[in-house]
Amino acid sequence: MSIALQTLWHERTRYASGVLAVTFSAVLIALQCGLLLGLFKITSIPIDNTSADVWVGSNKVESVDLGRPIPASYLSRVAGRAGITSVESYVAAFASFAKPAGGTEMCFLLGSSLDYDAAGAAKVLSREQLDMLTMPNAIIVDESDVKRLGVTEEKKAKINGKEVLVVGTVNGLKSLAAPWVFCSVHTARHLLGFMLPPDHITYLLAKCDTPDRARELAAELKAEYGDDMAVYTAEQFSTGSRVYWLFRTKAGIAIGYAALLGLLVGAVITAQTLYSATAANAKEFAILLALGIPRWRISAMVLAQSFWVGVVGIALAYPVCLGLKYGARQVGADVDLRWEVLVGTAVITVGMALAAGFFALRSVRQIEPMNLLR
Amino acid sequence: MMPWAASNVSPVLQGVNLMRTYGDGTARRSALQNVSVDLYPGQLVLLMGPSGSGKSTLLAALSGLLEPDSGQVLAADDDGRMCDVWQMSAREREAYRRRHTGFVFQGYNLFPALTARQQLELVLKWGENASGGEARRRADEVLDKLGLSANKNKKPAQLSGGEKQRVAIGRALVKNPTLVFADEPTSALDWENGQKVIELLRDAAHQRGAAVLCVSHDARLLPFVDVFYHLDDGRLERRALPAT
Repeated sequence: MSIALQTLWHERTRYASGVLAVTFSAVLIALQCGLLLGLFKITSIPIDNTSADVWVGSNKVESVDLGRPIPASYLSRVAGRAGITSVESYVAAFASFAKPAGGTEMCFLLGSSLDYDAAGAAKVLSREQLDMLTMPNAIIVDESDVKRLGVTEEKKAKINGKEVLVVGTVNGLKSLAAPWVFCSVHTARHLLGFMLPPDHITYLLAKCDTPDRARELAAELKAEYGDDMAVYTAEQFSTGSRVYWLFRTKAGIAIGYAALLGLLVGAVITAQTLYSATAANAKEFAILLALGIPRWRISAMVLAQSFWVGVVGIALAYPVCLGLKYGARQVGADVDLRWEVLVGTAVITVGMALAAGFFALRSVRQIEPMNLLR
Repeated sequence: MMPWAASNVSPVLQGVNLMRTYGDGTARRSALQNVSVDLYPGQLVLLMGPSGSGKSTLLAALSGLLEPDSGQVLAADDDGRMCDVWQMSAREREAYRRRHTGFVFQGYNLFPALTARQQLELVLKWGENASGGEARRRADEVLDKLGLSANKNKKPAQLSGGEKQRVAIGRALVKNPTLVFADEPTSALDWENGQKVIELLRDAAHQRGAAVLCVSHDARLLPFVDVFYHLDDGRLERRALPAT
């Protein structure tokens, strides 16, 4: 074991405050990011819960809920290419949902093909539900939105002034601004009326035989038709939709400030801990300097200690984050602790601990072997 | 006969006309007044004097820790030529101390987290870039000679004061220095342990051939040393050893 680690372990009570400060910062950063990502995951639900590999939409569309009508004839641009197993129309647009008991709510219509292996049919819809959606004006909503939409025992409501029948509910597809309403392309077209011009759709969805082919196809289409339509792989469009709303709502800035505050508190406590721990060993270090050991060796050890304080802090933070994620799930909040969040948090907080170590080097510079003489 | 007793042996360190003052104005005080001293290999030199007489200042100037106001500290380099320690760059002086000097202080200043063996290994690994195996072998060798074979894996908290000071001596000797400087090495110990410590310093001189300069208040050390200096008000005087 290195001297840095050995000292850390031996004087663990002294270093505890620094380690806990790193843990605090890491938990704060990871949880803030995770909560936000979990929240904005909702914006890409139509993409993440369908099996389409490539999405073709209106020019420069940045988020799935912002698609404008495109000519259905674009189908010919996509169909027939090698490696494509299916291409289908998809309608996605906001609509006004009139509650049976009065009042209105914005909703978001998702009209897809109802084939059992359709690219646009939400994966959570059962075969029976897909069959039921073939009825004219049949819709399905998420269980969590039933109350918000005021759906009664009669299961009837109106969208854009046209009567609809709620034929079922699904779970796990919560909404943020407007409840998702699943239906057929035909129903969606009918409900949207003049808002969707004839022979227009919102998206074309393609399935490919391999993920590689999907990337190639998206690149091909972008190169050929990038001027008047947007082409994304499902992964790109999903990330793009989340990022769009992250910046659009300035939530990224809020998270940045919270994370910065956490970092600052962590940095100050860690720096102070390392400073006083180094000062406490000043006499031992002074002996080494008297013996001609270069000062950089001692500085390197202090930095190694700060690195390990960071690593231990992170190691304690992850279980706490996972515990809090579990707790959040119990109250219905999704904390998305994907590996990018965990790695990013680790890099930032270990970097912070190292910066605190550089601050603590002041105490190394003050060590003078002459002070050992009486 | 000790090597230094032969007339053709050269000193390994010479302090020449060393001057050092502290403070200014009416508070100005001379710690060293034209002090000259030679240290020979294989010689244990005791430097005594009242508190504030300049003993530690002289030790610091000779060991390259404190620059004198004037005078020279001439040390034999690897080729035997005498170089002024205070004309060297800070980096050269650091390298000189690394190669040639060992220190023992009243406070043992051992790392609480490290075992006795690791305290010595650290000096070799950080000072000489010694490999783990070599550092361990040399540390064990020194600890065995200091009678600490059974304490190699103990940390300072598990050692007595005398044992701790022996580990500190081991740390000073492990790199086989030509010069050993000891500042009040026995004053925190009872006489039994103090006696062991001065014997070890004498062995470092007589068996290893190091020049050992020991600063102390303790007159009981006199029978163990080869040369005795007395410093008072910054003036150094060589005195005869009492007949044993």
